[in-house]
Parts: sequence; C-alpha cells; structure tokens
Amino acid sequence: MLKTESIDIEQATTHIQAQPDNKTRRYDRQLRLWAASGQAALESARLLVISASATSTSILKNLVLPGIGHFTILDPKKVTPADAGNNFFLNGHSSIGKFRAEEAVSLLRELNDSVDGIADLRNLDDILAKEDGREWIQSFSLVIAHNLDQDILDTLSQLLWENPTSPSLIVHNGALPKTYAEKQAFKANIRNLSQKLDEENFEEAEAQAFRLWSESPVPSDISATLNLPRLDQSSSTSSTAFHALLQTLRAFINSPESSGCLPLTSTLPDMKTDTESYVKLQIMYKEQAKGDNALFKTILKKEFPDLSIDEAMVDAFVKNAHHIKVLRGRRWGTWDKDPASLGPANITEEALRTEVQSLVGQGVELPEQLDDAIGEIARAPTADLPNSAAFLGGMVAQEAIKMITKQYVPVNGYCVIDLVETWTGIVGQP
Amino acid sequence: MNGSSSSSGDWHDRYYHVDQILDRPGPRTDPSFLAGDEVKDFLRNKCKILVIGAGGLGCEILANLALSGFKDIHVIDMDTIDISNLNRQFLFRQKDVGQPKAIVAAEFIMNRVPGVKVTPYYGKIQDKDDDYYLQFNLVICGLDSVEARRWINATLVNLVDPENPESLKPLIDGGTEGFKGQARVILPTVSSCYECSLDMLNKPTAFPICTIANTPRLPEHCIEWASVLEWPKVHGDKKLDTDDPEHIGWLYSMALARAKEFKIEGVTWSLTQGVVKNIIPAIASTNAIIAASCCNEAFKIATSSAAYLNNYFMLIGTDAVYSYTFEHERRAECPVCGGESLDITISKEWTVDRLIEMLVEKQDIQIKKPSLASGAKHIYFQAPPQLEEATRPNLEKKVSDLIPDGGEITVTASSLPFSLSLRINYS
Repeated sequence: MLKTESIDIEQATTHIQAQPDNKTRRYDRQLRLWAASGQAALESARLLVISASATSTSILKNLVLPGIGHFTILDPKKVTPADAGNNFFLNGHSSIGKFRAEEAVSLLRELNDSVDGIADLRNLDDILAKEDGREWIQSFSLVIAHNLDQDILDTLSQLLWENPTSPSLIVHNGALPKTYAEKQAFKANIRNLSQKLDEENFEEAEAQAFRLWSESPVPSDISATLNLPRLDQSSSTSSTAFHALLQTLRAFINSPESSGCLPLTSTLPDMKTDTESYVKLQIMYKEQAKGDNALFKTILKKEFPDLSIDEAMVDAFVKNAHHIKVLRGRRWGTWDKDPASLGPANITEEALRTEVQSLVGQGVELPEQLDDAIGEIARAPTADLPNSAAFLGGMVAQEAIKMITKQYVPVNGYCVIDLVETWTGIVGQP
Repeated sequence: MNGSSSSSGDWHDRYYHVDQILDRPGPRTDPSFLAGDEVKDFLRNKCKILVIGAGGLGCEILANLALSGFKDIHVIDMDTIDISNLNRQFLFRQKDVGQPKAIVAAEFIMNRVPGVKVTPYYGKIQDKDDDYYLQFNLVICGLDSVEARRWINATLVNLVDPENPESLKPLIDGGTEGFKGQARVILPTVSSCYECSLDMLNKPTAFPICTIANTPRLPEHCIEWASVLEWPKVHGDKKLDTDDPEHIGWLYSMALARAKEFKIEGVTWSLTQGVVKNIIPAIASTNAIIAASCCNEAFKIATSSAAYLNNYFMLIGTDAVYSYTFEHERRAECPVCGGESLDITISKEWTVDRLIEMLVEKQDIQIKKPSLASGAKHIYFQAPPQLEEATRPNLEKKVSDLIPDGGEITVTASSLPFSLSLRINYS
C-alpha cells in the first residue's frame, strides 16, 4: 500500500498543472456561478441600450464587466451640466457639450478589452419610422430602455412584442410506499438493516426516507408546464423545438418503460456511505440517465420524424427536465391599460393622486401609504439620483444576466423599489 | 484631471439631481431636516466618511459617495489588486494588478469626480486607534471578512460615550455572495449590532476527517485530503500558500490522482482553488445593488433628508427578486453591546478544554481563541506565553472544580475588543 502511494505522488508531481489562462482567472468569481455555458451566452449577446443616462451607464457597467459580447448606446443628446454631475461614466465637467453616448462608450469600454461597444447618435423616432431601422432594433438579443416617453415606449414595445422570443428553460425526483403503515414499515426496514446502534448513515437514510413519497413522480409545476398550450403568434423555430420537446417529455412520462417519472438526472446527491457503494450507486444512476436519454430520443424521433433539433439542446433539456420553467411575459403596458401621460410639468401631488384613482377605479379608497409615495415622487420628479441609479443598475443587470444565461429565474411582473424604507416588491404578476 | 472651474470643482447644476431631494422635505422626512444650503454645506464641506474595504463593494461605494456629494472620504484596505478582481472592481485595470487597492481606488475617484478628496490607507483597520475612528461622522463597510466586521463593530460600540453624542458613529454594513446580499444600519448601543446577529451566519462546510481519510465520495473530499492530510505529510512545516499557483497545482494533481483511485469525477483546478481558498462567487451587479443601498442609507443619515433603513435589508436575486426588510433585535447577552450574562448549562464532568471547544463552535459565540477568568482568578489565558504556560494545567481540570453552580466566567479574546460573561449552571 505504501509503495503504490509513493508512486502515485511521484507520477502526480512530475506533471504539475499550469494555472488557468488569464481569461478564466479574470472571470473566476462569476464562472463559479454560471460556468462556461453561461459565459458563452453572455459573450454572444448583443445589447441595445437606449439613452446614456446615469441609470443606463450603471446597468451597462455591470454587463461590460462580466463580458457581454456587444453593446450599442443609442442617444443623440449632448452632456448637460446635470449629466456631468450624476454620471460616473462621463468625464466630469470636461464632458459637458460633447455627445453623451460617445463619452459614455469610451469610458465603459475601458472596463473590459474584450467587449465591443458603439455609440449611435441617431434618434429613436427616426429609426422606428423606417423598416430597416425596425429590423436593426430586432437584431439585438436584448433591448434596455431608460425613461423613454410613453408614446415612443409603446411603439418600441409593440415592435419587440411582435417579434416573439423563445421560452426560457432552466433546470429537479419514483411507485413507492403510499400509506402510513407502508411508510413506517419502510423506515423500520432501514432501521433493521443497521447492524449496530447509532450508525449515522442509517439515521440519515431514515431521516431522508420521506423523499421517496413526499414528492409525486412529476412535480405539479412541471405537469402544468407540460400541458401548456402554444402561443398563437409564436412561430419561431426555437419555439417549435421547445414545444416538440415538451410533447416528447409528456409522451416519455406516459410510456410504460419510464414508470411515470421524469428522466433521471445523472448527479447523485452526497450521502454518508463508503466510497465503493457510493460509486456503484453513481454508476447505476448514470446508466439509468443514459437509458432515459436514449428512450427520450427514440420517442422524439417517432413523434417528430421531420424535425431536426440540435443534439446538445435535447441533452440539456433531458438533463434539466426536473427544473423546466416557462416564463411568459406580457407586453409592456398591459397592466396599466390607460397609459399615463405624465410630463414633468404636471407632476403635482394632486395630479398624481387623480392618475392613480383613474387607474384603480373611482370607487376604490386609496391607502395612506400612497400619499407617502406620491409625496416622494412630487418632491423630486426628474431626479436620477446616483444611489437609485446604481441600485437599479444592479437590479436590471441581474435580470439581463438571468435572461441571457437562462440559468436563473427573471422577474415576471413589475418590480417596485422604495429606497426610503428600503424594500422591493413585485406587482402585476401574470 | 481636467482644469475644472473652481477649487471645490463645482459647476452650476452639478447637483441638479441630488438637490431635488435636499431642497425640500418629503412626506416621511424628519422635522429636524434643514432643507437647502445648510444641509448641502454639511454634506459637501463638513461631513467626513470612512469606507472600509476597497474591493467589490468598496469600489462601488466610493463612486456612489463621490457622486452623492460627499467630498471628504477616507478608505482603508490591506489588499493588493488581483486579476480575479477585474470582473467587478471597476476602478482597477489590468495594469494595476499588484498595486494596493486603497491607493489606486482613491486616485481613480479623484480623477473622475473633481473636487472630491479621497484619503487612502493601505493597511489594517486594527492599525488605527480610537482617535482615528472618532474623526468620522459615518462608517461604511464593504468587507468579506467576519473577523474584520466583528472588530470594527466592537470598536465603534466601545467608542460610544453617553456624555458625548458625537461619539456615536453610525455603521453601515454590506455583504454579498453571488446573486444574494444584505445591507444593514447599525447605531452602536442603540440598535442591534453585528455581534448580536452572529448566529445568522451560515456555518462553513466542514467535512468529517474520517470521510476525507477513508471514504471520499465527492471531488471536494479528495481536495481536502490533499490539502489537510497530504500537504503536511509531504511538505512538513512548509506552509501552504493558497495564492501560489504551484501549491494549488500540487494539490490539484494529488486530488486528481486520489479521485482517479476512488473513481470520483469532477476534480478541477478551479474547484481545488475554490475549496482551499473558500472562494465566494461575486459579480458586479449584486455588489452594485448592495453598495447603492449602503450609500443611500449613508446619504439619508448624513442629510436627514429621508427616513433610513430600520435596520436590515436582504436580497435574493436567483429566483425573481425577493427581498426582506426587517428590524433585527438586540441581544441582551451580546458580548459587545448587551452586558447581561449568558446562561449556559454544562455537564459537571466537562473540563475547561471542553468548554473552550464549545465557545469556539457555538454559532452565537464563535470566539476563536478565548481566554477565561473568574473575577481576579485566571482560568486559562491564550497569551502572553508565560501566563498560557501557567494556566495550561487548568485545561484538564473540571469546570465544576473551579466554578460553583451559578458562578460567572468572563471570556475575552485577543483578536476582538470585547468580553462575554457566562453564568455556568450544571446539569
């Protein structure tokens, strides 16, 4: 035993591993979150940011740093003294009078050599008015707009809504003991297997036994997803592929060979046991996962003989079948049906209260807290405060990363923030 | 730096946005708010703020404070810039790698935001005395170390002199991990302090030594084996340097060989480094949210322009946006701000050594190297060496032979400026 060990050390140390390349080292702290696949998604994303405001540059900073592929800032305005005071990505006083987009792009690009950034000085109205302009906007993977006027925001959101996006898919476990008596018998069996008292692995097994029966073979949120109808307008190829995969998954669960379960994930959770049994179980797990994957592909081929779907996408779908989630957005403005025509001129407490009353209905009594919110808005109607801009910059960038990497769940609805008492809330969830 | 207009660097409308808040009160503003010139003068000419940490949160904090109108900012950081900082610490560039963070960050802010003075200190917070901390109106922390937070928290609590209201320095503390983070406001001796909430910290994952030595199942077990058992065996007294790529390379090779032997998959360079350095994932966007929240509280406290956070805000961004704002309560037996004795019940058979082990591990105590005394009687002292040697025999003695039922023990720690009173009961 001693001899083999020393040989191992010798072999191992003659081949000292070099540390990872510069890029991996630079992105180390984020690769631990979204791995190479998330990074590749970020690096191929193209972002359009409308306006170079303090909030916009704060958002961009948090996306240029992790290495987004490309960004374009669309903004025809010149830097005002007020802009130079609240925007970190302008050169203070010396930027005044220069184009905001150009000043911001050059300072943002400094943050990361591998990111491509362009300043576009055209007017959004003009772009939206022309067919090639609308196509240009649709060529981006994500569009972020800050403080646009209501009418132009409506036009933009309509354009983007009509260009359908594919549902995001993200990444969770078999006819087991059913009655109380069966469950107790099962637990007692585990206990009897324990050769001497206080064997912690048996205690753990007994404690974890509920997992076998507490979850139905297919979690309810996933069953609901499986029965989701297709969106009428959705005609993109990725949507067709996704719905084919969903139907195949439904057929898989109904097939006699799958015993009504979702495909097995190949990762086995850690448990207190010896190495040999753990590795054996892990191999069994992997074999089953492989078998499930093959069965899935056979069904897919049978049900959709003419459809060609990228093999890697099918593998990712099967592997993550326990964590599928479909998020359906709504067009901007669906919630607040009557668009508010709030210009800076009429932001008085009275005008705001009237506006809210017309949104919620005339008979509805308004809560006292509303006056607090209205009072704060009327106090600083046009203020883009540095801290609020930075807070929003972080939040919007987190959402952008979640949408692009498809590894975390984005907000569905409107996120509202109160930075007086410091809390967030989600309203208008579908 | 550009040839900006005046010595203060201000230009007309520079604070157009911030002044909308400072020129008039809002519905929730405290009546003591002095809207207009007076509050602006205090913020821009008189207020002195200390930022602890010039890393992920620190860079963001410095930029936000500068834009908010704080003009006398001090920053302390003991680290130098590493390439892995560049994905989020946006005041640093590739050419700055190896330079002290505090100095590079201070220069960057002064160049970008004219008229703001940032005074860096490249060193430890423990290097500074009470007089140093007394000069500030506010302290903001963006730290990744629990020990440093406990130290500054205890220092600021000790600084409070009831006769002198100026001695109370509000402490704003931020922390992040991946898509999650928290920000809190601590008013030393008034609200819950950092020590009061020690039990909220996640317990670090510790693998049992028998698993590492005999039954590895995870790649992490193989890495722990390489660093905890094999390194000292092969290298003797040579210390493992987790920043030395050759050392990590050696551990990686050893862990990989062991993983192969046990047919375990998943040992990588990155995982090896992550396990031995206890690396916490960090991204710019989360730091931006938490730093903005901290600076927003600093701005509200410094100006009284709006109510401030009472007193704890936590955010989880992994599944939509979930946040929770609540008032963390003070702990009467907090060793830093409480003063009341903590009742503990132990077996009559426990030795002093066993009691110390408990003090190290207990979630709400976590004192790394505790020294114990009962009145003027030394039970066990970690330092100085003569006293340690003199009290060492007590480690094997039963606590019940030294302290009567209901008797008190005072616990102190060399690394932290506090003392904890324990009332010992026997079961």
